[in-house]
Amino acid sequence: MVVVLLLISAISAFLVALVNDVTKDTIALSNAKAKNAAKFLVLGTSESEARITRDTTCKIGDFEITVSTVTRNDDNAVIGYAVEAPSITKSGYADRITLMVGFKEEGDRAVINAVEVLSQKETPGLGANMTKEGNSLERSIVGVDPAELKFAVSKEGGSFDALTGSTISSRAYANAVETAYAGYLWATGRLNTEAGAETVTGSTQQTDSNLL
Amino acid sequence: MSKLQIITKGIIKENPTFALVLGMCPTIGVTSSAINGMGMGVATMVVLIMSNMAISMIKNVVPDKVRIPAFIVVIASFVTIIEMLMQAYVPSLYASLGVFIPLIVVNCIILGRAEAFASKNCILDSALDGIGIGLGFTLSLTVIGAVREVLGSGAIFGYTFADGVMPLLFILAPGGFLVLGYLMVLFNKIAKR
Repeated sequence: MVVVLLLISAISAFLVALVNDVTKDTIALSNAKAKNAAKFLVLGTSESEARITRDTTCKIGDFEITVSTVTRNDDNAVIGYAVEAPSITKSGYADRITLMVGFKEEGDRAVINAVEVLSQKETPGLGANMTKEGNSLERSIVGVDPAELKFAVSKEGGSFDALTGSTISSRAYANAVETAYAGYLWATGRLNTEAGAETVTGSTQQTDSNLL
Repeated sequence: MSKLQIITKGIIKENPTFALVLGMCPTIGVTSSAINGMGMGVATMVVLIMSNMAISMIKNVVPDKVRIPAFIVVIASFVTIIEMLMQAYVPSLYASLGVFIPLIVVNCIILGRAEAFASKNCILDSALDGIGIGLGFTLSLTVIGAVREVLGSGAIFGYTFADGVMPLLFILAPGGFLVLGYLMVLFNKIAKR
């Protein structure tokens, strides 16, 4: 009896490990491909028209924020910055969420161009609606200068129109955008400005307490 | 019992949602729209067919006393393997059904059928039972999802026909219980005739 159970468990564990070994490279590759495509997507361009000229990664606690500079092929002009950032201080309903946020510069102000959700495990039909095109969260921040944003949901005095029935997911989304903005400021060397410094120290402090 | 009966009984007489009342957690959790219900139903059906066959294959090897833990180990490994294979080789399918896969591990329909049917029947019958119960589950979830979507967001299969503020309650869990309850009454009333 014990032997049979042990045997079944051992065989199952072996099979799972085997499949994991076979598939993990393919999975990592397709994730990387999707992530790469998202970098161009959030800036309204594609891999055939533009390229990534710089990738910088900054760390806040254990979290990584990657800022990619996307440059147009034709005239070598910087289109904007695609920032991959997790929600640091606020987790979603099930797990942290990761966003790709595209920042474009118009004169001396920055504008959020588009947002793609890279990973989320929110409830289907509720929080998972953040992946839908034109959802209320994305709509409330696209085309807005992030310096003017309040990174909270609207019923808590912020600028983000929460998804119906999904305040927790929406908070995590706002937090990830805030993180992305901090990464953008950092990568473009604008952290010394008052707003930027505030954002980053704010995140760092909250991260520490969160991790403890 | 004829082969066809094994399939049809899963849809009506032993409908997992309305008659057996199994798998209530994913039922309430994912049926906020018709397409989600359908996705969960289809994903469950595929896993159910294969896990039923696997259980039926090993039923003679597994001693009675440890059958439940053995079945759980087999099913959980199975689902994990399917998830990894899907993610690696059919990422587009994974993108639409992937969220449901981990939910299937904790779905008591799978264990319920392993215990009640697959551990006593041959491989072919077990597979047919998987198809029947899977179809029953898919149909029930789609109907519940459709009703909740129509009432809660004024849409059907993602196609919006009514704008404005709809009763959000139906998208949330309490509305799910309400819809489930009323549909269960309706179903049993019709099925008993």
